[in-house]
Amino acid sequence: MSNTLGRTLVALLVLGMAWSAGQAQPAGQAHTDWTGYYALANNRDLAGTGFHQDAPGERLNDLIVAHLQPWAKARMEATDGVADDTGQVCLPDGIFRYPSMAGRFLWLEERGRIVMVFDNVNTAGVRRIFLDRPHPKNPIPSWNGDSVGRWEGDTLLVDTIGFNDKSWLFGGMEPHTEEAHLLERMRRVADGSLLEINITVEDREALTSAYTYNRYYKKQPDGVEMAEDVCNEDPETWKAYRDAALKKELDRARQVK
Amino acid sequence: MKALALSSILCVPLALAQPAHPDLQGVYQSISDRVTLSGGRENVGSPAAIQLLPEAAKQAKAVDLKKDPWKMCQPVGPFRMMAQEQTKIELVPVRAMIVMLFEDLSHGVFRTIYLKRGHPGKLEPTWLGDSVARWEGDTLVIDTVGFNDQTWLNDEGAQHSDALHLVERIRPVLAGAYLEYKVTAEDPKTLVKPYTYTRYYKKLDTEILDDVCQDEE
Repeated sequence: MSNTLGRTLVALLVLGMAWSAGQAQPAGQAHTDWTGYYALANNRDLAGTGFHQDAPGERLNDLIVAHLQPWAKARMEATDGVADDTGQVCLPDGIFRYPSMAGRFLWLEERGRIVMVFDNVNTAGVRRIFLDRPHPKNPIPSWNGDSVGRWEGDTLLVDTIGFNDKSWLFGGMEPHTEEAHLLERMRRVADGSLLEINITVEDREALTSAYTYNRYYKKQPDGVEMAEDVCNEDPETWKAYRDAALKKELDRARQVK
Repeated sequence: MKALALSSILCVPLALAQPAHPDLQGVYQSISDRVTLSGGRENVGSPAAIQLLPEAAKQAKAVDLKKDPWKMCQPVGPFRMMAQEQTKIELVPVRAMIVMLFEDLSHGVFRTIYLKRGHPGKLEPTWLGDSVARWEGDTLVIDTVGFNDQTWLNDEGAQHSDALHLVERIRPVLAGAYLEYKVTAEDPKTLVKPYTYTRYYKKLDTEILDDVCQDEE
């Protein structure tokens, strides 16, 4: 058994045990279809529900930085907010970053999988959570990794590995490695009006320990549709950013030599 | 009488269990123009064969092909995208809509096709337009309007107007192993007459991967 697979299984087991020990999920409650359009909940959405966003907005950076290993912190401090920001050139932001900040997505349930389609599809992409298979033995590193999930009652436990190391953990340009491991526990709360995602990120190569936080997404009323959002609307601006990014990358490579 | 009543009880659930239309869920990939399927089915036509009105033809000639949306990692629009060889799509039918996801996200993006509403009275022009659909027997008929003027109709720089109207007809053939895809484009401001091409998409037992334009950089 590979280390990654072993850690995955242990983490899923721990998540499952934590759930059954600490949460008020009625026994035997079956999953109901969550298909719909969700948007990151704001203060008004959360008012009176008893739920709140952990480390909201840019404050998530502080939480992550407190868990970075020294090399990762040094790399973060050496980055450039434009040249190193993949989203600026309409490349993916990776799964760690975009949904936590301003996520809007369609949640689509189909046979054997759940598909999350983010509105800013060029940078956030499409995420598939497979319910009918385990991780491949050697997943090809990708921006959003390989996600598998299983239902425990009406809670979805999602395990994701197989990331590339091109994206950042959040907007402060906190790096991660291909060892990154994302664990999520998803459930509906507040009479089904909110989707709660409890997020745990591990990366033994970049983090001193795992960090955890919650995000809440408001289910939008029927009839509200997710609008088209194309990143690369203006190719001239895109080219200018891309050229600037490539030049800075080249300059840094020269300095290293 | 008892037999009839029993038959009714048994038949009602069976009738309800019958799908009202084909289940299109799956991953599909367009076949090569060189392939002929059983029954003589093959790709017919191409966006390159559209006939432009004189003014539109003049406009196309003046276009800088270096500014092709394809080269700029921009959406290219359904008419052009669906004609490409090897285009890989995933169809996700849920409730009142079918979502069409493209492996090549930058050029295809994704389309939301609504089954339970008509086009809104006032449409904000978009890259992919507004798509609504209905079933005609085993065929999904998609009607799309409301395009912006940023996409081209073909690789040769053919422009279209805001009057572009696409009608796509999708149905499973050969026992569901393939989808037949026919699209008709009409645009009275740029096209001499409506143009239709046909593509066949093979159903795959695979997953769609990340495919990011400019990723090699």
